[in-house]
Amino acid sequence: MSSMIEASTVKPAATQLDWSLWLRQIRAILRIEVKKNFWGKRALLLYLFAAIPVVLMFLLAIVDPNGSADIRNKWPNAQEAFGNIYEGLILRTMVFFGCAWIFMNLFRGEVVDKSLHYYFLCSLRREVLVAGKYFSGLLASVVLFTLTTAGSLFFLYYARGYPANVDYLFDGPGMGQVLTYLGITILACLGYGAVFLVIGLFFRNPIIPALLVYGWEWLNFLLPPVLKKISIIHYLHTLSPIPLNEGPLATVVEATSPWISVPSLIVFTALVLFLASIRIRGVSHPSNH
Amino acid sequence: MAVYEHSYKPYEGTLTSAWSRFLVIPRYAYQDLFKYKLFIALFVLCYVYPLISTVIIYLHHNANALAVLDITVSDILPINATFFYVLVSVQTSLAFVFTVIIGPVLVSRDLANNALPLYLCRPFSRFEYIVSKMLVLLILLSMFTWVPGLLLFFFQSYLEGGGWMADNLWIAGAIFTVSIAWLVILALLAMAFSAWIKWRTAASAALFAIFIIPTPIGFIIEELFNTNMGHMLNLGVAFSALSSHLFQLDWLDAKLSFFEAWGVFAAYALICVFMLSRRVHAYEVVS
Repeated sequence: MSSMIEASTVKPAATQLDWSLWLRQIRAILRIEVKKNFWGKRALLLYLFAAIPVVLMFLLAIVDPNGSADIRNKWPNAQEAFGNIYEGLILRTMVFFGCAWIFMNLFRGEVVDKSLHYYFLCSLRREVLVAGKYFSGLLASVVLFTLTTAGSLFFLYYARGYPANVDYLFDGPGMGQVLTYLGITILACLGYGAVFLVIGLFFRNPIIPALLVYGWEWLNFLLPPVLKKISIIHYLHTLSPIPLNEGPLATVVEATSPWISVPSLIVFTALVLFLASIRIRGVSHPSNH
Repeated sequence: MAVYEHSYKPYEGTLTSAWSRFLVIPRYAYQDLFKYKLFIALFVLCYVYPLISTVIIYLHHNANALAVLDITVSDILPINATFFYVLVSVQTSLAFVFTVIIGPVLVSRDLANNALPLYLCRPFSRFEYIVSKMLVLLILLSMFTWVPGLLLFFFQSYLEGGGWMADNLWIAGAIFTVSIAWLVILALLAMAFSAWIKWRTAASAALFAIFIIPTPIGFIIEELFNTNMGHMLNLGVAFSALSSHLFQLDWLDAKLSFFEAWGVFAAYALICVFMLSRRVHAYEVVS
């Protein structure tokens, strides 16, 4: 018997864009990652974290004896207060830090757990891996933080009572406002998710860049108009259903139309994901990290 | 020597006296840390503000220097409680940066490499281990917080003379108390996170998060319920409140009372001690 090994060139399984294969692979990654994101030990703290605004609104609407009366009697003020809570607590704190945790963990967490090579050993395009992981993070963050937003809104409306709410929600601007808040949350997860995914890929220690992004987003109200537009919070702020005063120090900028804000965020996300795809191709083996 | 000739022999070298054993860990830790040039540079950088403060104090008492620089005493910052408060604030902020750099690996490396049994099989208790690890941070951070603060206080007392020191001794007390309270809580938090979070970056992130996240929550609670109780989650506010009372600064908006501030520090410290007591064991049962 010959000891020679017969070798011949193997025809690549997929010679052209095989979208159905990629979609199947993305679905498979999504299943694995969603399980990790939702049911892992790391997720428990995130649930508690995301519940803070809901608990606060619950305390205001149900437990505080004057809270519900205040909401009923001073509805415009209550809406403005909720707008501030939404932007200051939910968007800038919960969604920001929640997305930072979820999306940075997608790759950096795998590197620390020494499990990224399992994905790299599969016959899987790196871009597909980025897409699968991003969508899993997006799904986890969107579900979690839209629930936070919806829960907080529920207690705000609950304090008003049933008849007033039915009128406001179905015959007034209420439903539009609720959907806008939920939409802003989804867009925030989309934008911040992409930013943190790419930070997690580019930086070994992602804390400093994440803190710089946090500072940039918080100081956005002070920035000149051109710089304001290089941020996510600017677009989210302009979409707010209740116009909010940013304080006496804020630079006044003409509000960006939703027709520009929403596509801008989506295009930005696509660009950042493209960047992440290029980066992931350069990542050799997790042991080299 | 043949293997069968190997037998147990007790250690015959000099024993470290029992009272000073807790200094062994810091000694080795500093040997490791000061190997890095970047760390040394950062450490030196921590003395820039105390140096500037020294120059300001000196200028206050040197008419010739003032004449050369063509300035009057009124043009320079006054040397009072605010002066020392700013010094303590700047230096404790730098202490936080150092804690983020050093703290997250203090205990996690020992836990990850199963090194705890090696420590605890020696005449070295869990308490001594925790104190030793804390001292790594406490001694280092003290070197550029309350130590230069008190040295500057004594320098000012020496130059001013005429009973200034006796009149302002409470400032020295404030420098020491505020700095030590802050350093102890930083050290405890760093160690607790280090013991519970194996990923260094996540432990550092947790340290940042514990200071950043309670701030908006506190202000939202204040806005919603018209109470300052929300700030009881916030160590930064507790630090400001403690400073405001001890440095007697009326201009500083203290959201908490003196005792509430101590309560916040005590609560965080207790939680950290509990977290440490759960993780620092000589052995671990893996189910």
